[in-house]
Order: sequence, then structure tokens, then C-alpha cells
Amino acid sequence: MKGLWRPYLFILPALVPLVLFTYLPLWRTLQLSFFDWNMISPDRKWAGLTNYRSLFESREFWMASWNTVKYTALLLLLNLAGPLLVAHGVTRVGRRWQAFYKGVIFAPAVVSLAVASVIFLWIFNPLVGAANALLGALGLPAPNWLSDYTWVIWALAAITAWKSFGYNFIVLLAGLLSVPKELEEAARVDGSSGFQITRRVILPLTSSTILYVLVSTVVLGSQYVFVPIEMLTGGGPNQASTNLVHLIYQFAFSFFKTGYAAAASVVTFLGFLALIFLQARVMERRVYYEN
Amino acid sequence: MKTSGKSAWHVLLLGAVFMSLFPLVWMSGAALKTPNQIFAEFLNPVPKPFTLENLSYVWNRIPVLRYFLNSLVVAATVTVAQVSTSLLAAYGFTQFRFPGRDFLFYFALATVLVPVQVTMLPNYLLVADLGWLNTYQGLIVPQLANAFGIFLLRQAFRSVPASLIEAARVDGAGHWGVLRRVLIPSTRPAIVALSILVFINVWNEYFWPLLVGNDPRMLTLPLALQTFSNLEGGTSWGPMMAAASLTALPPLVAYLLAQRHVVESFLSTGLKG
Repeated sequence: MKGLWRPYLFILPALVPLVLFTYLPLWRTLQLSFFDWNMISPDRKWAGLTNYRSLFESREFWMASWNTVKYTALLLLLNLAGPLLVAHGVTRVGRRWQAFYKGVIFAPAVVSLAVASVIFLWIFNPLVGAANALLGALGLPAPNWLSDYTWVIWALAAITAWKSFGYNFIVLLAGLLSVPKELEEAARVDGSSGFQITRRVILPLTSSTILYVLVSTVVLGSQYVFVPIEMLTGGGPNQASTNLVHLIYQFAFSFFKTGYAAAASVVTFLGFLALIFLQARVMERRVYYEN
Repeated sequence: MKTSGKSAWHVLLLGAVFMSLFPLVWMSGAALKTPNQIFAEFLNPVPKPFTLENLSYVWNRIPVLRYFLNSLVVAATVTVAQVSTSLLAAYGFTQFRFPGRDFLFYFALATVLVPVQVTMLPNYLLVADLGWLNTYQGLIVPQLANAFGIFLLRQAFRSVPASLIEAARVDGAGHWGVLRRVLIPSTRPAIVALSILVFINVWNEYFWPLLVGNDPRMLTLPLALQTFSNLEGGTSWGPMMAAASLTALPPLVAYLLAQRHVVESFLSTGLKG
């Protein structure tokens, strides 16, 4: 009976930091969301649901939520549909080419978003940037990307997409490569066209991978976008590029509305959790498992 | 028909290759260009002739070496810490049966669902209360453990044949001996992969250092990049790209050296920052 505590000794060095820096703060964020506090003053006033009420009544919150939806839609286009097409292409070429494409297209995934942000600060520069040089050569109008109310979201989403494209591509490629070749052959023998095979065999068999990439794009996307927002626009022009994560950051560390920021993070977190559980449910019920 | 289909895919894929590489190539080119070249031939990534002016500027005028070392100290320490705590926990979870084992494992694993913006406020307040703002411990201590690491190494340890562990035990190896002489050597690829993954993620991190390390002496490289775009009266592109190249270099080198490990590890876990 002497060694009973021993397994816990092995686990504690990992468990203690996780409790102290994830679970405890999670609980404290929930607590803070019920107080009126400015982070510095010694007295915290109990506020009940006031923070939540003023959150749902504020224009900034809905604007940031709407922007989060816009970022997410763009990222799904650039970072789910795009990599899926490219990964499909890679399965159509020879083995040696596969290794080359895999190695190169993944490379930006190891580069910091801060680096991506400053490179794209040049690419989107209205005078000397590559984006407008290209548009100009094609005779298209060239927007002032980072200070344009509409295009700023496209620009910041593109930066995030450049960085995370390679990761999604690799994950989707692994999913596509795990589809048994015999199934494809069988469909071909039955007279299915290439398009039909993709639609009826390959896509259903990779659906759980696609769903994973979809959910992680939604959840991680809004965290990734924070970096170019903070570095390049600070949420501007006039809050046009702010998202929920950036709004929480601003309320916490620029306006010192601690309770309000805590309420916003609780609401965002619940939204993400709902999504993740929805994914788990869908996976259980409808999605084919590939292995 | 078949070959023409193939070349259509190659066109698409080469497009993706161009999009992936052009920004990086341009960045490293601009780091070696004179200001005139940056403006006059802005689409041409090749510096001709090249200059070390930008590199010497960031070396002399900005304490880029200091930032580099800050990044290195934080990333290396966190990597060693997370790999060590994950190894121990994986050992505990796979080599013992004890009350609450599965519960504790999922309790640890569930932390991956908690995004950083939900915990940042209390963590910032705690670090501030401890007087750790603008210190290495403030940057490092909140990241001592990693649920992904525990998960990854637990999977790896489970694949080690029980007979190997049994044989070592019979030979008189204790827990420490089994871990060091059997489990670690036979799961080396997973451990290497985890180490590279953690190092790259922490090196690239932006959010947490932004909160706790805003003293100019405590900046890590990704945060230092911001100082170039905030300069009054425009951006100093050459020095900025020199610093950006230095920031991108270590993860890219790690990727080149251990490409397969990195891809595998990103696949089995996930990435941040």
C-alpha cells in the first residue's frame, strides 16, 4: 500500500500548471463577468448580469460578432475549399511530385503570424505593394486595403489564410490519401465519371476530416486573425476590422472594463463550445469514419 | 486526355507553390536590398547588388540580438518543460492503474478546448500580482504543461510492447530506469516531433508576450516586429524585413532539417500562433 501515491507524483507536474493556468482562470473569468471593475481599483462592485446586458445592447459587440462571421466565411472559402482543391490535385500527380508539393505548400505554416503580417503590410501597400501592382496590370481598381471599410477584412483574412493554408492542406491530404484505392477503382469499373467518384466516394469518406478542418478553422481562425488586426489596423478603420477576440482584448487592456471583457469572453467561449459539441454529435451520427 | 488532366493539376499546384513561397522569397530579398531597390524594383525579389546595411542596422540600432535571445530562452525553456512534464504524465497514465486515472486524463485533455482569450485576464492579473510582468518567469511559467503533449506521448508509450518493459523490470530497472532505458529510446520520433512542434509554436507566439512582456528589453522577436510599422512617418521596409527574416529563420530551418517529423507532428496535434 506504500506506493499508492506514486502515479499521482508522475502526473502532478503536468496537472498543476493546467489547473492553475487554465481551470482556475476559467472559473475566475466567470466570476469577474459578474463584477463591475476596472482592474486597478481595490473595490469590485457586484453587478449581476449588467455586464451581459450591456454587452448584448452594445453596438461594438454586434459589429465585432458580425465581423467575426465575415472573417469566418472568408477563411472557410480560402482555408477549407482552397486546400481541399489543392490536396485533391496532389493526389492526382506522381509520387515524387507529391513529396515536393507537400513540402513546399506546408512551409508557411511554421512561420509566425507576426512575420506574415509585416510581409503582407508590404503586399497590401497601396503604392509599392504586389497586390495593387497585379490589379493595376489587369486594369482593375486598386483599393487602399488596410484603411478601406470593406476590403480591410479581406486583407486580414488573406494574411491568416496564407499562414494556415498549409496545415489544413496537409490534414485534408492525409484524409484523401486514406481513401482505399480499390473503392475508387470499383466505382470507375461501374462507369462513374471522375466528378461522380469525387462526389460519391471520396468526399463522403473524408467527411470527418473535412468537418474537423471546418471547426478548427472557425475556432482557431478568430484567434489567428487577432495578430494581423492588432499589428496592422488596431481594429480600425473605425472598428471596421475588429473581431470578438480583439474586442475582448481592447475592453480588457485598453479600456480597463474588466467585467465587461470577461462577459464577452464567456459568451465567445460558449459559442465555440457549442460548435465543438455540434461537431462531435455530427461525427457520431452522420459522418463515415475513414479508419 | 490523361496527361492533359495532369498538367492542369500541375498548373494549379504550381500556383499554390508560388503563393506559398513568393512572400518568403520577397521578404528575404528585401532584407538584402537598398532602400532604392525596395521602391524602384519592388516586385523583383532578387537584390542586385545586395547589401548588409539592413542587417547591420537591426544589429546595431535595435537590440535584435537581445530579442533573439529572449525568444530563444522562452522557447527552449518551455519546450524542455512541456516535454518533461508530458513524459512524466504519459508514464503515469500508461504504467499504473489507479483511482481516477481516466478522469484525470480527460480532465487534462479538455484544456485544449479553452481558448487563450478566456483565461488571459485572470492569468494576467495573477502574473501581475506575483510581480512577474516583464520577466522570463512571467512568459514561461503559465506554459509549463501541454495537454497535446500528454496525449501524443501517451499514445506513443501505449505502442511500446509490454514485454520490453517487463524484461527491463525483471532486470531490476525501477520507474526511472524503464522511462530512460526503454520508453524514451523507443518513442524517440514522437518526442522529437513534439519538441519541434512546441518550439515552433512558442517561438511564434504573439498573444501572451503581448500581454506580459511590453518592456522594450523583454520583447520577443514577433513582438519586436511591430516597432517597425509603428515608426512615425512610414515604415522602414529594409530593416523590418531583416528582422522578419531573423524571426522566420529558426522555424524554417527546423522544418527543413526535420520535415517529416514536423509534418507528422502538426498532423497528430495542432498548431497555434
